[in-house]
Amino acid sequence: MYSTLHIGLHHFLIVSILLVAAGVATILTKRNAIGILIGVELILNAAAVNAVAFNRFVWSEPAAAVKLDGQMFAVFIIVLAAAEAAVALAIFLNFYNNFASIDVDKAHELRG
Amino acid sequence: MLTLAEMTSDQQAIRDLLAVATLLPLFSSLLVIFIGKKMMGHFAGWFATGVMVASFICSLLALLRWMGTGQTEPIVWLIPWIPVPGTAAGWLYLGLLADSLTVALMVMVTLIATLVHLYSVGYMHGDKRYELFFAYLSLFTFSMLGIVTANGLMQLFVFWELVGLTSYLLIGFWFEKRGPQLACKKAFVMNRVGDAGFLIGFGILFQRLGAAVLLPAVEGGMFERIKTLLEADGHSFTNPPLWLTVAGIGLFFGAIGKSAQFPLHTWLPDAMEGPTPVSSIVHSATMVAAGVYLTARIYPILTPGAHLFVSTIGLITLVMAACMALVMTDIKRVLAYSTLSQLGYMILGLGTGAYAFAVFHLIAHAFFKCCLFQCAGSVIHAAHHQQDMRYYGGLWRKMPLTAACYAVCMLAIAGASIPFTMIGISGFYSKDGIIAGAINYGEALGGWAHLFFWGPTIVAYLTCFYMARSFALTFLGQPRDRHLYDHAHEAPWTMVVPQIVLAAMAVLAAPLFWPGWLNLVVGSEPAIGWMQPAQAIDESHGMHAAHAYLLQGFAWILAIGAGILMYRPGMKYGAKVAAIPGINLLYTWAHNKFYFDALYDILTVNISKAVAVLAGAIDKYIVDGIVNGAGWATRIAGDAIGLFDDKVVDGIVNGAAVAAQSSGQMLRTTQSGRIRLYVLLLFASAAAATLIVITVALH
Repeated sequence: MYSTLHIGLHHFLIVSILLVAAGVATILTKRNAIGILIGVELILNAAAVNAVAFNRFVWSEPAAAVKLDGQMFAVFIIVLAAAEAAVALAIFLNFYNNFASIDVDKAHELRG
Repeated sequence: MLTLAEMTSDQQAIRDLLAVATLLPLFSSLLVIFIGKKMMGHFAGWFATGVMVASFICSLLALLRWMGTGQTEPIVWLIPWIPVPGTAAGWLYLGLLADSLTVALMVMVTLIATLVHLYSVGYMHGDKRYELFFAYLSLFTFSMLGIVTANGLMQLFVFWELVGLTSYLLIGFWFEKRGPQLACKKAFVMNRVGDAGFLIGFGILFQRLGAAVLLPAVEGGMFERIKTLLEADGHSFTNPPLWLTVAGIGLFFGAIGKSAQFPLHTWLPDAMEGPTPVSSIVHSATMVAAGVYLTARIYPILTPGAHLFVSTIGLITLVMAACMALVMTDIKRVLAYSTLSQLGYMILGLGTGAYAFAVFHLIAHAFFKCCLFQCAGSVIHAAHHQQDMRYYGGLWRKMPLTAACYAVCMLAIAGASIPFTMIGISGFYSKDGIIAGAINYGEALGGWAHLFFWGPTIVAYLTCFYMARSFALTFLGQPRDRHLYDHAHEAPWTMVVPQIVLAAMAVLAAPLFWPGWLNLVVGSEPAIGWMQPAQAIDESHGMHAAHAYLLQGFAWILAIGAGILMYRPGMKYGAKVAAIPGINLLYTWAHNKFYFDALYDILTVNISKAVAVLAGAIDKYIVDGIVNGAGWATRIAGDAIGLFDDKVVDGIVNGAAVAAQSSGQMLRTTQSGRIRLYVLLLFASAAAATLIVITVALH
């Protein structure tokens, strides 16, 4: 009964995994703070994709068509990401003022 | 309890005068000690002398008042001082006792002390501790006055010890030199031996009488208690219990120490190491007089046995010291042994009952012996501190006044008189009286006790002889040391004046004092005790007998003549006599002081040294061994504990620290401060956790 164009939950999850992997890879490889912030945005968006996908596929009852829990989560995540970006950029600005750079490898003063 | 009548105004006046006279020297001594060096300088000597003059005037006024108003009863002034619980008497009294003995001695002591102070102004001139000398001298005088006015044996003993201390300070005044150091130590230790006897006697009396022993030592005071006690026990002074004899001898032992009687006499000649003014006052008015005074004070309670003991000691001392005086060549030593001999006379006099004569001899002797010492001091001063008479000779041409004073005092000590009469100068009365007492005593006891008058009679000749010897060697003949003779000169007036006054007193003491003397002292001679005044001396019989033994007054002419003839040319005849077999043995003995010093060295000094060595060895090997062993054991235990501490306890603590440190070191590598590493770890661990959960869930 599966057609080749049928898109199920697994596809969404795979997209989300790819997004998380890309975000983590971005965070691990970038030394630029802005790049790391972008990586964080990718991970947050993977979570938002998950939330919407699970909302669509987990409720099998027809009545569930009006339930928007996943979408609500996605919206919250976007708001959260915006707030987080504002805080992070403020930190970066201070960091830049002190070190004349935004290379995170230079921020190792908390080394044990 | 001692009952005292209300004092009359005369008695109060005498009491106050004596108290002031006693305290004045203390005042000057303290003042000179504290401000003498800084503010007085040379004036300190004159100040001390002036205060002594004031003290003398007070004493003289007291004597005149005493004799003028015909006092006989002792004046007792009691100030309750320390309560003695549990007795009726109740108090240790501080205060003053004045009877005729006190009054007479006060005048003598203050007069001589005044003259010695004056003499010291000249003699000690230029000494670096000039002021201190006067402070000590005044304190010395004060302590003697304290003894004389002490109202009981306890107070007497306090001043007794003060005399001992100040004599120590004065004899050792030139303590930079070895001789005075040893001499003052010897004087002090010898006196302690005597004081031990005093304390034993005092202790016996205390045990018997209780606190009554603290009462004044007069009739009506302590002596009355003893009498009552004896009567209660069925005893009397003629039939005394043993304890009273022992107590009397014990107290007399104090006098043996202070008055340098045999066997504690060896300190007095050594005390010559002190400055000559000290010798002159020690040998006359203060220290040696204290012993005789004590014997006179306790005279009433001396039992027949104690009297015999006292007489024997006096006899031995006077004979032995005269022999030593015969052979000495040091002028001060001759005089020192002469003092010993004369003190022997006094003690013999007190022992045999010639109380008044013994006390009079004490006073007369004080004048002439003080003068003799001052003359000797002047000679030594002039002779550049050469004290050996063999280097003198012919000095009368250079020092006529000193020679004259010496001659007068020589006659006084010799007891010169006009032959076939009873007229003479001071020594004549007193010595004849003492010999008279000895004759009576010897006849009363019989047998060997006849020695008691043969001894002093023969020594009376010897006294004349050795005094003539010293006079002839020093002042007569030809100079034997030209250099010394050429530099000799008469002493300054501060030294000559006291000599003249003392020589005058030696002559005048008899006519001034004698008529009143017998009234003064004999009149108030102690009425209790074994020897009643009447039986003590049968005056006319004894005096005439004594006079007979002394060849009716010719003795002194013969003996002095012999001495002068023999020694005027120097020592050559003396040396020949000393070489005669038999005499040479005696000569060697006497010259070596009868080996008393050697004997004491062997008996006491060496034994105490041996004991000290033994005690030292015990200390070193046994006590130190125990202590060192304990120390060693402690150290070993300490080492073991230290090792345990180091290795085990510290090991645990350090091990914990090392573990914490290395784990911390290990863990800190993760805390690199690099944010990307943290993220890697975060995700790696999240991934690992997920894998584990999935794996577990699948199985």
